[in-house]
Amino acid sequence: MRRLIFLLSLFLVCTPLYARPTPSDVIVLPPVSTGSAPVTVTEDPLERRMLEIAGALRCTVCQNQPVSESNADLAKDMRGLIRDQLQAGRSRQEIMDYFVERYGDYVLLKPPYEHAGAILWIAPPVLLLLLAVLAVYFIRRNTRQPSPPPAPTLSPEDLARIRAARQQD
Amino acid sequence: MTNSLSIYLIEFGHLAAYLAMAVALVQGMAPIVAHVAHRPAWARVSINASVALFVLTSIGFVTLLQAFVTSNFSVQYVAMNSNSLLPMLYKVTGLWGGHEGSLYLWVWVLTLFTMVVGIHGRSRYPERLPVILAVQGWLAVGFFGLILFLSNPFTRLFPIPLDGRDLNPLLQDPGMAFHPPTLYFGYVGFSVPFAFAMAALITRWKSELWIGLVRRWTLIAWGFLTMGIIMGGWWAYYELGWGGYWAWDPVENASFMPWLMGTALIHSITVQERRRMLHTWNIFLIITTFSLSLLGTFLVRSGVLSSVHAFAVDPGRGFYILAFMITVLTISFGIFLARGRYQEAEETVTTPLSRESMFVWNNVLFTVGAASVLLGTLYPLALEALTDAKITVGPPYFNKVMVPVFLVIMLLMAIAPLVPWRKANPERLLSRLLIPVAMGLIGLVVMLVAVRPMQWTAIIGVSLVAFVLGTLFTDLFRAVRQRQAQHPGLGLVLGTIRTVLGNRRHYGGMLVHFGIAVIAIGLVGSGLFRQEKTVVMSPGDEVVIGNERLQFDGVVKLQGPNYTATQGRLTLLDSGRVLTPERREYPVQQMPTTEASIDSTLARDVYSVLGEPSGTAAMPRWAIHVYFNPLVKFIWLGGVLCAGGLGLTLSFRVRKRAAAQVGAPVPANR
Repeated sequence: MRRLIFLLSLFLVCTPLYARPTPSDVIVLPPVSTGSAPVTVTEDPLERRMLEIAGALRCTVCQNQPVSESNADLAKDMRGLIRDQLQAGRSRQEIMDYFVERYGDYVLLKPPYEHAGAILWIAPPVLLLLLAVLAVYFIRRNTRQPSPPPAPTLSPEDLARIRAARQQD
Repeated sequence: MTNSLSIYLIEFGHLAAYLAMAVALVQGMAPIVAHVAHRPAWARVSINASVALFVLTSIGFVTLLQAFVTSNFSVQYVAMNSNSLLPMLYKVTGLWGGHEGSLYLWVWVLTLFTMVVGIHGRSRYPERLPVILAVQGWLAVGFFGLILFLSNPFTRLFPIPLDGRDLNPLLQDPGMAFHPPTLYFGYVGFSVPFAFAMAALITRWKSELWIGLVRRWTLIAWGFLTMGIIMGGWWAYYELGWGGYWAWDPVENASFMPWLMGTALIHSITVQERRRMLHTWNIFLIITTFSLSLLGTFLVRSGVLSSVHAFAVDPGRGFYILAFMITVLTISFGIFLARGRYQEAEETVTTPLSRESMFVWNNVLFTVGAASVLLGTLYPLALEALTDAKITVGPPYFNKVMVPVFLVIMLLMAIAPLVPWRKANPERLLSRLLIPVAMGLIGLVVMLVAVRPMQWTAIIGVSLVAFVLGTLFTDLFRAVRQRQAQHPGLGLVLGTIRTVLGNRRHYGGMLVHFGIAVIAIGLVGSGLFRQEKTVVMSPGDEVVIGNERLQFDGVVKLQGPNYTATQGRLTLLDSGRVLTPERREYPVQQMPTTEASIDSTLARDVYSVLGEPSGTAAMPRWAIHVYFNPLVKFIWLGGVLCAGGLGLTLSFRVRKRAAAQVGAPVPANR
């Protein structure tokens, strides 16, 4: 275990050393001078809304990747479609429905509450309830037995004697 | 670069692997034969066999390693997962870069654990040892069967290709050297408690005698699994370039399910050790945890995740894996049902408000969590296999289900350590909880005032973390005060050190709790308060994210050992530090990858990814993704704390006590 801790701390300490292996020979391109003053770029709000919707959709040809993060051609097309539809003034729900119509529930990263998805949402609370009932039963069944009579309480004199004995220790 | 030595060496390793399977078979058979033939001495063959098994498996391992290091492309597996230009580190780690090799790593770790158990048990539990080793021997037989007959890494390739197909560029990272082996040590580590439980059921071994041993093995396995998962998250974070570390991907869930059950187990085992109850439940947990470890290995390794149909492409392998899983489950649960009643609990929960009943609730929640993850991971596969309907269970589902479970677990973590064993006095408990509750309330108020926009998970999460910290503090402080009362004149620092070292087992556990609380802070910060921007920038442009201003300085071209890269340069204007995200092109696999660049402080990470170019040669523009991730470092720090806590717990030696009076219950610490 100590070795593991050592390795782990080594691992953490060395990140900057090896996370970025130094390439053997470096060809540096001269930086392009634009001549213009620095501009603070801001994010296109349309792009943010598009990515937010794309983040809730599954790239259907990828392995567990949302449309927003995939480099697959299909995902790029889907992002384009979302962008177009947002520009056309469609709401988030309308766009989601559009994709569900074409790809089915499979395209939703969050399974639907009804149909095939229902069991996913019902099972965890039902299981929790079931186990909770079992746990209560387990705990109560055993505690129902009459508990032994409470230990007699100490008289003030005894208590003082014990305190004194402890002090001497 | 293949010379004649290499050619013979790999065949030697291949032969050694076959012999290893034969030895594993002997190891599995020995106690059975000994029992049937009424020759108890024969059973001890399995103890020596465990050493031979490890040596033979290691020979196979080393020859495979040699094939990778010397780029021996006459070995098909090497040709598929390596390349002559690959840096040496990745040639070595390429050994577990594919299906066949990672199964071989699995079985090698299994034989290592088996041998260590064999050596460890020789003097401590000699009469049960053969059965324990036999269980592990049968597991090794199962894995060797899969490796040698269906996924053989020693298979040769003729004609020998001029060069290899290269390792997947995403795996060309130092994380590859740490994450998979650590994770496998965790998965396989749970085979030891499993073997103990099976041996105990079969030989009617009294549970008091083995539970203490199993507890240590379980903690070791749990520690490796925890570290493996955290390392995996860290690796995903800096390698995959989407700014996060956990995506509820089935591959991640595969490691998370045994972790959840294993966590339930390490808590529940404590109850059995301290209070002699929950015996059968613990055996159930041991079997379940190991079964989920197996399931995890197979889910990741069988190809079933990419598609149910990929599983069917190679029906032999898929069928074998399914059959193996079913066999292990049937036999272990069969034995459990037949013999479980001989592992009866001696005592029971005395009152609803007691430490032991808190542990019961802990187990309820972890079980619900593990079952939900299992459902979410397997349900889409089952649905597609049975009805052809396809459904996606993505992160929104797991977050919605698991976050409440985690919050309740945090609440338990805040209360339970202050609840005494057997019977709590409600009034005294309330007075103990005063400081923790106050801290929780302060956290709540601070969050309500300071945090906009309102996120109820963040508010409750942070209050619970404060509550937990208050409990940890109270727990330690009370003990220190007690010690000071016994030893007047003892300083606070020395008193604390002596208290912690005097009860390492308890405070090790509390340190792990502290680590989990620190991780929780990191999860809340990075999960709920992260900002991201996707912008198109020309050299000289600036972008603002969080409280940082970044200037894009342009790109440079780089030549790596086996790739070419375009490296962007972004300057953090406040500190002058530079981010260098890259886009890499690996010519052999024709695969572009992105390398994120992260500027990390304790408070936040600025995470950058270089996107695609646009614009003209005269006016180049690049898409840049920047993320502002608060408190991510807390997650990794929490992982280190967990490791430290485990080390502290395990540094408590049981040997002296065990030698004096085997199986006596551990004296309660208060």
